[in-house]
Amino acid sequence: MHLAVYVLRRLAYMLVALFGVSLVAFVVTRLLPGNPAYMIVGEMADESTVIAVTERLGLNLPIHEQYFRYIQQLASGDLGDSWRTRNPVTTDIGSRWPATIELGSAALILALAWSVPLGIVSALRRHSISDRLANALSGFGVSIPEFFLGMILLLVFFATLEWAPPALGRTLGDVPPHTTGLYTVDAVLAGDWEAFKAAAVQMILPAVTLAVTVGAPMVRVTRGFMRETMASHHIRSARALGVPERSIVLRHALPNVLLPVSTMGAIMYGYLLGGTVLVEFVFARPGIGKYAIDSISESDFAPVLAAVLLSALSYLVVYLVMDILHFVIDPRTRT
Amino acid sequence: MTGRPASPATEAPPLLDIENLTVGFHTGTEDASMPLQGVNLRVPHASRMSLVGESGSGKSLTASAVIGMLPEGAEILRGSIRLGGEDLIGAPKRRLRDLRGRQIAIMFQNPRASLNPVLTVGGQIAEVIRTHSDAGRRESHRRAVDLLDQMGVPDARRRAGDYVHQYSGGMAQRAALAMALSCQPDLLIADEPTTGLDATLQQQVLELVVEQVSDRGASLLLITHDIAIARQTCERTAVMYAGRVMESGPTASVTSSPANPYTTALLRAFATVDEGRMYAIPGTVPTLFGPLAECPFASRCPEAGDVCRDGVPELRAIEDREVACVKA
Ligand SMILES: Nc1ncnc2c1ncn2[C@@H]1O[C@H](COP(=O)(O)OP(=O)(O)OP(=O)(O)O)[C@@H](O)[C@H]1O
Ligand code: SF4
Ligand SMILES: [Mg+2]
Repeated sequence: MHLAVYVLRRLAYMLVALFGVSLVAFVVTRLLPGNPAYMIVGEMADESTVIAVTERLGLNLPIHEQYFRYIQQLASGDLGDSWRTRNPVTTDIGSRWPATIELGSAALILALAWSVPLGIVSALRRHSISDRLANALSGFGVSIPEFFLGMILLLVFFATLEWAPPALGRTLGDVPPHTTGLYTVDAVLAGDWEAFKAAAVQMILPAVTLAVTVGAPMVRVTRGFMRETMASHHIRSARALGVPERSIVLRHALPNVLLPVSTMGAIMYGYLLGGTVLVEFVFARPGIGKYAIDSISESDFAPVLAAVLLSALSYLVVYLVMDILHFVIDPRTRT
Repeated sequence: MTGRPASPATEAPPLLDIENLTVGFHTGTEDASMPLQGVNLRVPHASRMSLVGESGSGKSLTASAVIGMLPEGAEILRGSIRLGGEDLIGAPKRRLRDLRGRQIAIMFQNPRASLNPVLTVGGQIAEVIRTHSDAGRRESHRRAVDLLDQMGVPDARRRAGDYVHQYSGGMAQRAALAMALSCQPDLLIADEPTTGLDATLQQQVLELVVEQVSDRGASLLLITHDIAIARQTCERTAVMYAGRVMESGPTASVTSSPANPYTTALLRAFATVDEGRMYAIPGTVPTLFGPLAECPFASRCPEAGDVCRDGVPELRAIEDREVACVKA
C-alpha cells in the first residue's frame, strides 16, 4: 500500500476517534454534579446573577446543543476558557504541556535505557543473575503505585539524604528564555548551564519514578519477544550454518525484537504525554495531569475536556508516528 | 549394545560414522527419557542415504546430534559421531561451529520459516559465506547471487535483495538450499525438506537437491516419512524405529525385500496410504524411558517370540545389508 494513502486513512480514523472521545468526555463532565455557575459567582450571589451566568455559559440549553456549540468552538481552535485561572484553556495548556512533555520524554528515555537491555540479556540466559534481576525489578515496578514510589524517593533522597532539591515545580533557578517550553532544552539552546542544572535536577526523581513503573512491563515484554525469537526456526537455521553467536543476537534476533518493543514504547509514551496525574501531584510539577485534577475538583469543565482530548491525541499521534516508522523499517509491510 | 557389524572390505571408509549413539533427556538417572538407543548409521562419501521411520522414531534428534545442536536438556550418554574420522562429540564448541555450514550443512522443514524475515535473502547467504571464508562484502554478495542463479531462482541479482515473504514456497526452498550449499559442505542433511510443497514442486526441489549435491561431490542424508521419495532420490536407506536403526542397505532391496518385520510393516502401511486406504501398524510406538531390554518392536511385531525379549537385537550384516532382528 502507498504510504500517503495509509497516512490519510489513519488521519481520518484519528478524527473519528477524537470525535468519539470528545462526545463521551463532554457528556460525562455535564453529568457531574455541581453547577459551575455557582462556583463562578460564589455561594452568596443572588438568584438572578446565577441565571445570567448560566445563560451566558449556555448551560441552560439541551445537552446536544451544548455539544454542537463546543464542537464548533473546537473547529475554530478554541478550547474555551478556564474560569478558575481566567485564561483561555489554550494559553494554560501552552504553558503546562511542555512540563509534561519534558518529564515524559526524560522518563521514556530512562525507561528504555534500563528495560530493553535487561530484557534482552535476561532472555539469553534463563535462570542467570540477570534473569533473576529482571524478575525482581519488573515485579517491583509493576506492583508499586507510582505516587508511593515517588513519596519513598522523596523521603530518602530529599528528606533523609538531602541529595535532591525540594519538590517545588520545574526549577528553583532561572527560567531560560522561551524557545520550546522545555526548560532543559531551552537552557541548552541559550547556553545557560546553571539553568539547565536547576531544571534537570527537578526532573530526576519524578523521571526515575516513572521510568521504574513504565519500564517494568517493558522488561517482561522485551524478554518474552527475545525468547520467542531466539527459539525461532530462522535463528536455529543460522546457527546450524555456523553464524557466530554475536551476529545471531545483534543482527538476526534484535531487529525482530525491536519492532514489537518499539510499539510498546509508543504506548508508554502516549500514556506519559497525556499527563501522569499522581506523579505531577506528588512532585508539584505544573503539568497537564495536575491541571486536569485541579480543574475537576472545581467543576471547571473546559480544561478537563481539553486534557482528555489532549491525552487521546497524544496516544493517537505517537501511535501513528510509530506505525509510519514501522511501515518504513519493516520489510514485511512492503511488497 | 556395543558390537557392530564390520564394514565389508569393498566399502570406502564412511564420511559420517555414527556408532551406538544414545541420547537422553534430563541427565543422570537411568530411567529418564532416552529417545536414541544406540543408533548406528554410516554415510559413505559422495552418496545419498535416506533415513525413514515413523514420527517420533528419532530421525531429527539424530540429525541434531550430528550438528551438535541437541535441544535443551538432551545429552549424549554413549556412542560416537565421526565426520571424516574426526570425533565430533568431544570437539570443542568453536570447532563444531566452524564445521557447521562449512562441512556439514542442514536444511530444516519449512524453508520460509528458516529464513530471517527482516534480512534480505541474499544478505543471509552472503553472511554464511563470509563466516566461513575471507570473502569481503562485495565478493560474498556476488557469490550469493551466483548460488541463487544456480538453484534456478530467476532474476537472481534482483531477487537477492528481496525478503523471504516475497518468495514463493518453491523459491524459498531454493534459497534455503543455496544457503546450505554456500560453503561447499561435504554432507547435506535435509530434514523433510519438501513437506508442505505440492507434488510438482516437491519433485522439482528433490531433483535440484540431488543434482546440486552430486555435482559438488557431496553426500546427502535425507530424512523423510515418504518411502517413495527415498526410492527416487537415495541409493541407500536406513529404517529407524524407537531410537534404533532396524535395517539399512541399498534402497531397492530394503524396500522390495525387507529383512526386518518392522520394515515390512512400514512398507505395508505406506503402500495402503498410497492406495487411499488407511493401514496403520497396530499398537503404539513405545515411550522410551531408560535403556531398552528387548527388541523395541516386540510388542507390535507379528513374528515376535521369546527370543526377541532376551535382549536388544544388534545390527548384523546379512548379505547386502544390516538388520537388527533375531529372526532375520
Ligand atoms: N525437545 C525435546 N524434549 C523432550 N523430548 C524430545 C525433544 N525432542 C525430541 N524428543 C523426543 O525424541 C523423540 C524423537 O524425536 P524426533 O524429533 O527425532 O522424531 P522424528 O523421527 O524426527 O519424528 P518426526 O517424523 O515427527 O519429525 C520424540 O518422540 C520425543 O520423545
Ligand atoms: S527381533 Fe523379534 S520382535 Fe524384533 S523385529 Fe525381529 S522378530 Fe520382530
Ligand atoms: Mg523430525
